[in-house]
Amino acid sequence: MLKKFFFLILISVSIGFLTMRIGLNSHQSIAISIFCASILGTLFFWDFRLSFAFLGISVLLLTKTTNLENVIKFASLEVILFLVGMMVLVGQMKAAGFFAWIVQLILRIRNMTAYKFVIVISFVSAILSTMTSEVVSIIFMVAAVLEICDYFEVEPLPFIMIAIFATNVGSAATVLGNPIGILIASKAGLTFEDFIVKAFPLAMVCLTATVALLLVWYRKPIKQLEANIKKFGANEMLVRLISVPPEKELKISLVIFGVTLLFIALHHRLELLWGLEPNTVLLIMPLISSGAVMIWKHSKAREFIEHDVEWWTLLFFMLLFAQAGTLKYTGATDVLARNLAGVAGNSPSFLIGIVLWISAIGSSILDNVVLVAAFIPVIQSFQGLNLNLHPLWWALLFGGCLGGNITLVGSTANIVALGILEKERNIRMTFFKWFWVGLTVGLVTTVFVWIALLFLPIFL
Amino acid sequence: MKVKEIMIQDVKSISPESNAREALLILEQLQISGLPVIDAQSKLVGMFTEKEVLSYILPSYIEKVGRFIYEENPKGIKKKLVELSNVKVSQLMRRDVVTVEENTTLCEVARVMLIQKARRIPVLDSTGKVTGIVARCDILKALAREVQEPHEGV
Repeated sequence: MLKKFFFLILISVSIGFLTMRIGLNSHQSIAISIFCASILGTLFFWDFRLSFAFLGISVLLLTKTTNLENVIKFASLEVILFLVGMMVLVGQMKAAGFFAWIVQLILRIRNMTAYKFVIVISFVSAILSTMTSEVVSIIFMVAAVLEICDYFEVEPLPFIMIAIFATNVGSAATVLGNPIGILIASKAGLTFEDFIVKAFPLAMVCLTATVALLLVWYRKPIKQLEANIKKFGANEMLVRLISVPPEKELKISLVIFGVTLLFIALHHRLELLWGLEPNTVLLIMPLISSGAVMIWKHSKAREFIEHDVEWWTLLFFMLLFAQAGTLKYTGATDVLARNLAGVAGNSPSFLIGIVLWISAIGSSILDNVVLVAAFIPVIQSFQGLNLNLHPLWWALLFGGCLGGNITLVGSTANIVALGILEKERNIRMTFFKWFWVGLTVGLVTTVFVWIALLFLPIFL
Repeated sequence: MKVKEIMIQDVKSISPESNAREALLILEQLQISGLPVIDAQSKLVGMFTEKEVLSYILPSYIEKVGRFIYEENPKGIKKKLVELSNVKVSQLMRRDVVTVEENTTLCEVARVMLIQKARRIPVLDSTGKVTGIVARCDILKALAREVQEPHEGV
């Protein structure tokens, strides 16, 4: 641990000095150095990464690299509040049995065949992740897959992998799928409609390609499942395995969730109609719904906020956003943007490729929120260079989500699912066992997105 | 009154190397719900309780899935019960064990039990060796006795 800590300090300080050497001023160098320490903190000390964010922001304030006003401005409270609202809402949906109900629906697939199972888990994983977030979705999909694989006595790993890949691809489809979705929407001024018209179809194309590829990659386990389904007959026991009390609570929760999604989907129209600032309805809708949930379930209101909201993660996001904002405030990202545009010869197509591939490869190693938070001020700085930012935001979104499939630490969904698998079945995934299939899925889907961003007029 | 005066001194324990199925049988035979796990150096290394066995055989995601009712016993649970003989006590035991020293007062033990949600607490001597164990009911009985016989020992 001490060695890693030493490396963290050494690398961060060296980067600081190096950037000063190449002409950045001291505040710009400190901002880069501190952001670098936060990134390394997430890499080396995931379990207590927040401590580096706390210390980092304190150093930035003490060295006058930023000020309190900017810390608050860049902490992106609107994104944090949106996530808090969604977490409360999802907590209530869980308590009402919504997710167990989804699992039950999968267990009840009629005339189950191996291909039907793979296609259902892929699309349900993707859709669930577009509506509730990747981390929430994957838990329920893993539960369903493990029960089905247990029943038919097949190795669950390939099917868990299919669910994970589909979840990560699906998370790019809407603003709800991944924290980077709402972050990009908020900073780029993109609407839910933009996501539905542009990101959703593209994510579905990527999903179809992923499923086709995985059907070939995992043909042997799928064949084995098919044989076992024939051997064991219909999934009679699974049909009855779990039930969800059909209570009023579930129905009311579904109505609240449905209305929230509807308003989120129509937010842009409503903002125009009511003369509100862009994205106001999008950002406050989860707050309105979770506020209503807390009035309805007032005895549990505190529990929702204390247990269902992941404060650890959200606090880390806030401070990380503030640190990334300092990069912008000091002008460090303007220098970086100028250099990147210079490398790309001011060619927008080349720049799209750079943003897409850097974010895909970067998010295969780093938390994609860290990467996107760093990239956002760089893309904003391109505006000053009179470049069309529109395709760059989509490149960042898809790179950040699809890159998560490349390695086993690429996204939180991967870590959560593999954690359950290890605990439940004592199956430990190795880096390279994941890497080849992950790399293939990651490369193929990123190439699809690259082509779409370069040639489809809708993205230009 | 100190905890050493009321603790059970004949502590039944189990080795971390024993298999979990045998440990479960011992719990059944002794009609208790948990045992301290003590290694070859007489050090307390964990607690093996029925709760740990239950949380091993049931899927770890049940709490996360939210509200539902099991209408059938899943195949996986039976499989895990069979596999218990291949699992060591050290793999299932709770490592984070709350302990008290012999000279701790009854009220302090009661406070620790309440705060840490512990049903029974191993008692250690100054060298860290387990010398006894005390359960919630022992504390309550002893405290009640103190109320009934307030002048005893004065």
